[in-house]
Amino acid sequence: MKPIKVLPLTIIGTLVGAIVSAVLIVTVTLPEQASVQAVAIDNLYVYMLGFSGVIFGIVTLFLIVAVFRFRARPNDTREGAPVHGITWLEVVWTIIPFIIVTACAYGGFVVLNDGNVEAQARTSGQVVHIEAYQFGWKYDYLAKNVDLTQQADLVLPVGEAVFFELTTKDVIHSFWVPAWRMQMNATPGQVNTTSTTPSKVGTYEIVCAFLCGVGHTGMNSSIEGSIIPRVRVVTRAEFDTWVAEQKAAAEQQGQTATTQTTDGSVA
Amino acid sequence: MTSVLKPTLARCLWTAPAFAALAVLLTTIARATFGMTPVLQEDTLLTVSYIAGGIGFIVGIGGFDYWWTWMAGGVLDPHDHSTHGAKSWRDYFLFNTDHKVIGIQYIVFTFVMFLVGGMFAEVFRSELAKPGQQVLTNEQYNAMISQHGTIMIFVFLVPIFAGIGNYVIPLMLGAADMAFPRLNAVSFWLLPVAAFTLLSSFAFGSFDGGWTGYPTLSEQSPFGMTLYQLGIQLAGASSIATAVNFLATIITMRAPGMTLFRMPLLVWANLATSALVVAATPFIAGAQFMSMFDREMGTHFFTMGGGGDTLVYQHIFWFYSHPAVYIMVLPGFGIISEVIATHARKPVFGYRAVAFSSAGIAVLGFSVWAHHMFASGMQSWLRVPIMLATLLIAVPTGIKIFSWLGTLWDGVIRMTTANLFAIGFIFTFVIGGLSGVMLAVIPFDVSITNSYFIVAHFHYVLFGGSIMTIYAGLYHWYPKVTGRMYNEKLGRWHFWLTFVFMNLTFFPMHYQGLLGMPRRVADYAPQFEWSNTLISISAFILGASTLIFVYNLIHSARHGKVAGDNPWGGLTLEWALSSPPPTFNFPATPRVIGGPYRYGEEGARHAIVPEPEPAVVEKTYAAAGDQA
Repeated sequence: MKPIKVLPLTIIGTLVGAIVSAVLIVTVTLPEQASVQAVAIDNLYVYMLGFSGVIFGIVTLFLIVAVFRFRARPNDTREGAPVHGITWLEVVWTIIPFIIVTACAYGGFVVLNDGNVEAQARTSGQVVHIEAYQFGWKYDYLAKNVDLTQQADLVLPVGEAVFFELTTKDVIHSFWVPAWRMQMNATPGQVNTTSTTPSKVGTYEIVCAFLCGVGHTGMNSSIEGSIIPRVRVVTRAEFDTWVAEQKAAAEQQGQTATTQTTDGSVA
Repeated sequence: MTSVLKPTLARCLWTAPAFAALAVLLTTIARATFGMTPVLQEDTLLTVSYIAGGIGFIVGIGGFDYWWTWMAGGVLDPHDHSTHGAKSWRDYFLFNTDHKVIGIQYIVFTFVMFLVGGMFAEVFRSELAKPGQQVLTNEQYNAMISQHGTIMIFVFLVPIFAGIGNYVIPLMLGAADMAFPRLNAVSFWLLPVAAFTLLSSFAFGSFDGGWTGYPTLSEQSPFGMTLYQLGIQLAGASSIATAVNFLATIITMRAPGMTLFRMPLLVWANLATSALVVAATPFIAGAQFMSMFDREMGTHFFTMGGGGDTLVYQHIFWFYSHPAVYIMVLPGFGIISEVIATHARKPVFGYRAVAFSSAGIAVLGFSVWAHHMFASGMQSWLRVPIMLATLLIAVPTGIKIFSWLGTLWDGVIRMTTANLFAIGFIFTFVIGGLSGVMLAVIPFDVSITNSYFIVAHFHYVLFGGSIMTIYAGLYHWYPKVTGRMYNEKLGRWHFWLTFVFMNLTFFPMHYQGLLGMPRRVADYAPQFEWSNTLISISAFILGASTLIFVYNLIHSARHGKVAGDNPWGGLTLEWALSSPPPTFNFPATPRVIGGPYRYGEEGARHAIVPEPEPAVVEKTYAAAGDQA
């Protein structure tokens, strides 16, 4: 039998892996990209899936070729070659994974810095305080122009960075909006922050991703019969109208029970 | 009558309740003396009964008989080997100091626990087969997933490797036994206590915090949560004691000539693992103690008020539980090196690199714990070094994968069931490893953490990694342990069913996670229906395929073809002995003269086992006995 050339096989493995990655990328329809950050994170996913596919392709191809080519025949008493290692090859397969993980780390850094809208959101955008409880979310709008408390719904204007402060009344919850590719735990005793920039008008699922007790399953707007409302991303004009409506409603309510607003005045 | 006084399970039937009753009595007296109300507080009494009952069980089975007799000034014969070795199946239910008996006890017991944990998975998979809730209530569902994870990790995956190591490692080293045989037996008997503690929590509302038991949810849970915390401490104590034993055995009991770089790679892997266990397990024990004190004694380690910090629990928990992943997979890597080299008739490619990569993984394994916490709200700067360390750990893992490929290449690959599992392992573990690399990268992780993508990832690592290696190892050493061959045809069926349905069960979970399905939920959005149905059906077949394995092993032990001493033509020392090996292993101390994988070299040997000299051995024993 002719010996198998390793280099061409590696190239074939790379191509096979690239095809596997491409198939996975094309066939898996990710949730809608409804935030600016989602695009970057999906690109990062595709970038890493590319590397993963290539490694997978090479390993699998070599594995399959080895099994078929070097298979023992019945009653085969031959022994394998007494090769204990080839130093240069071992160096190569140490360095190449090192380069690949460095590339992944680089990709991670880029997206981490790009995705950091915190500073922007903190100063100019919406600030929403989310208090998680068993089993739901309570939203407080802390931005100067919106003085609302205890709203049932999360409504946000499109295209504006939003800064979230997360706290919890009881146990750990995790605020996850898959369409925004954004998740943050609400950890007891501390204020966790995260931010995003919604980029598309629409309604999106809000999921509690962290086991929080009996009602955890239902703390997910995508479950049939869930009482958790979806997040609504609307245009600025619609948002302003909504805010006005909410203020009016709050004032009406304030006549029976006074509600504390964030600036300390009584609404 | 005498059987309830001799160290047997029958004696446990009264010692365990007696210890528990004593603890209840003392607690009640103490509470009454200090005027605490109510005097009979249920949770407190249950907690002390469980702790004391567990000790009582170890006392009953005979764990402390030798030490107690010594302390009480009784006469001890250091050459009394009556508790060593098994003559009938009954001896497997007794306190036995033979590492081979203990190894089998470990393997059989943990495998039964694997079936129990698997049953839990089948139950909640039946709930998940269709949207809506049909089979389980939310409480029952949370209890099932928590039990599944906890049983699988603490009384199956971690200890079964201790079992395989227990059987094989002293043989590979050319030793007569482990360094501390009595401690070894106590380590094993702690496990049934741990399993009983965990499983009996069903009587007290079970526990519902997943296998992680995070506060503050754990503070709300019923009494079962305290049993989860106790159970982990017991399993952890067993694990630490075994690891100390392995370290002492590997360091001090190698046969003459067995230098570190002549040790088989399974021994290397166990050395690295044991170092990890000894250093890391106290962290989870500490975390569980503090968490239990919070629940039962009103302390404030992790509570929200009173100066506690819940995030600290996560740090301490993962400081063990990430290295635990390597504890559950490094010995498996060792098994794969043995299996592939032996069945491909080739030396392990790059032996030293593989040995050092185990050590590298063990060291790096301590610097990656917080990648489980990217979305927890910990210090954000800490995420970056943790990401880098996590990515870096892929390099030594990659070295191993490539080395196994290099070992298979140009070999003469015998497609035995053991080797099929080893080769299948490479395929599935690569998938788990690659999704791990992706998850290490912070922005991607944060976008899908706590989703089914995570579930897919760690099942590819723990099923596609650990369990495949366990099967490979069990098939590989089965002829050595029983003296008979397993049925290859059934083995092949087992492999293909496991391999195909393992992938059909866990691969679709990647999609579910990417599409937004969170983990640990009893119901899901309608778009996940077909994938969940597919997963559930595959999981049922996967579970059923295990029965083929169980049947094969039990049936072949009696009816299999006689294996002979060395059916695979292995060069390591265990194959130089009869199958099953004699009670005291080697008739005379072997001399190691070369590396363990000298396949393909004409007339190459790893070690020489000299002929026994019975007269001399007899005399030495007598002399030593006189002196004592």
